[in-house]
Amino acid sequence: MKRDLISIEDLSEKHLRDYLELGRRVDDMSPEACRQILAGKILGVLFYEPSTRTRLSFEAAMLRMGGQVIGFSEALNTSVAKGESLADTIHTVEQYCDAIVIRHPREGAARLAAEVSRVPVINAGDGANQHPTQTLLDLYTLQNLFARIDGLRVSLVGDLKYSRTVHSLFHALSKFKDVRFTFVSPETLKMPEYVIEAIEGAKVDVKETTSLEEAIADSDVVYMTRIQRERFPDPIEYEKVKDTYRLDCAALRNAPEHLKVLHPLPRVNEIATEVDATRHAAYFPQAGYGMIMRQGILAHLLGAKI
Amino acid sequence: MSPEQILLIPKIENGFVLDHIPAGSGVKILNLIRGHHELNAAVLSVGLHYTSRRLGRKDLIKIQCGELPQRFLQHLSLVVPGVTIKRVENFAIARKIVLEPPELVDNLLSCPNPGCITNHERGVTTCFHLVRREPMKFRCNHCERWFALAELENRLKL
Repeated sequence: MKRDLISIEDLSEKHLRDYLELGRRVDDMSPEACRQILAGKILGVLFYEPSTRTRLSFEAAMLRMGGQVIGFSEALNTSVAKGESLADTIHTVEQYCDAIVIRHPREGAARLAAEVSRVPVINAGDGANQHPTQTLLDLYTLQNLFARIDGLRVSLVGDLKYSRTVHSLFHALSKFKDVRFTFVSPETLKMPEYVIEAIEGAKVDVKETTSLEEAIADSDVVYMTRIQRERFPDPIEYEKVKDTYRLDCAALRNAPEHLKVLHPLPRVNEIATEVDATRHAAYFPQAGYGMIMRQGILAHLLGAKI
Repeated sequence: MSPEQILLIPKIENGFVLDHIPAGSGVKILNLIRGHHELNAAVLSVGLHYTSRRLGRKDLIKIQCGELPQRFLQHLSLVVPGVTIKRVENFAIARKIVLEPPELVDNLLSCPNPGCITNHERGVTTCFHLVRREPMKFRCNHCERWFALAELENRLKL
């Protein structure tokens, strides 16, 4: 049966742990052995909106496993601009490749692509909805940094209203045992009720605050997010909150020794560059773990044994 | 039903009685009937704001027709869940069902989320799942957003 990766909501705790194990196995392989895993396979990379990290990391993951990549990184110069439907694009591209990675500005686009495709589909972001490979790489990063996910104290900071990354990570972490959350956001960017209510049933320990310093003192992980200008219907509202949280060395002075700072990147002003050199900075290794996790995901969905 | 109420709304020989409609929702059902062309020729009797032991006040609609279309019943279960439907044959009630909200809503609605791909792609079928009963919430299978019943009743695909 065809396997897809569309939404974190589709994955149980066991699925999540299995993916983490896949990442570990890829990490343990020699580069030579790795290059055999997907030799002869082609990945179709359909990016209907811009992305740097996600696209490059998928492409690097495929190349490191001996596969090849075709695709586009914006829809302007493709048949989409001529009015082709998503379903028709998928039906065409599936003739050329063994799996499809799709990023699309419309919510649900990856699900629709998976419904019509005969080859595996991976969601690399569908509007404000899901970005499951980002979530898996975040979990994989935590697993590598702390050798566990259960019991971690995680502060989610910044735009908790519009950030799909934060919503998915919150849902995924809530499937693990005894993870405690602190939500740190301006009043206008609080975690939406519908995101919290969707995990009803799971036992989740959540504290809300507007103080970053207070959260830092009581955390193992601080997950920073960029406040995204493009998500705001009203630019004045964006101006009011854009620099609310700035993490610098002064803000970290009461941080526990082992505290790690993560960020899905790109950052703007929310983490000062002086933090990069501290033992707390984990956001660039996080991007590296992303490629390894995506290698594991591609191998799994394409049915390769690792 | 008391004798006074029988005078207000006549018995029907064959057809259906939609009963236990919360007061005010009868009009929604009339609009729904209007949207289903198979029922355009049916004779309707409408009673509004009757006293009801269970609901306090209720509406009631009688439809004289051979069958109620399946799609109409599915839409009705979304617009006013909990309605009692009585099948009338030769002036007597032959059977009775209470219309429960559907667990799966297969291509009966368009998604209220303007950013959902199903509102931008030609010929896409939508799918919603009942994810909570109290208060009732449905989840779009594509954009994954949750919606209350009130947000969905104007989104029927007729």
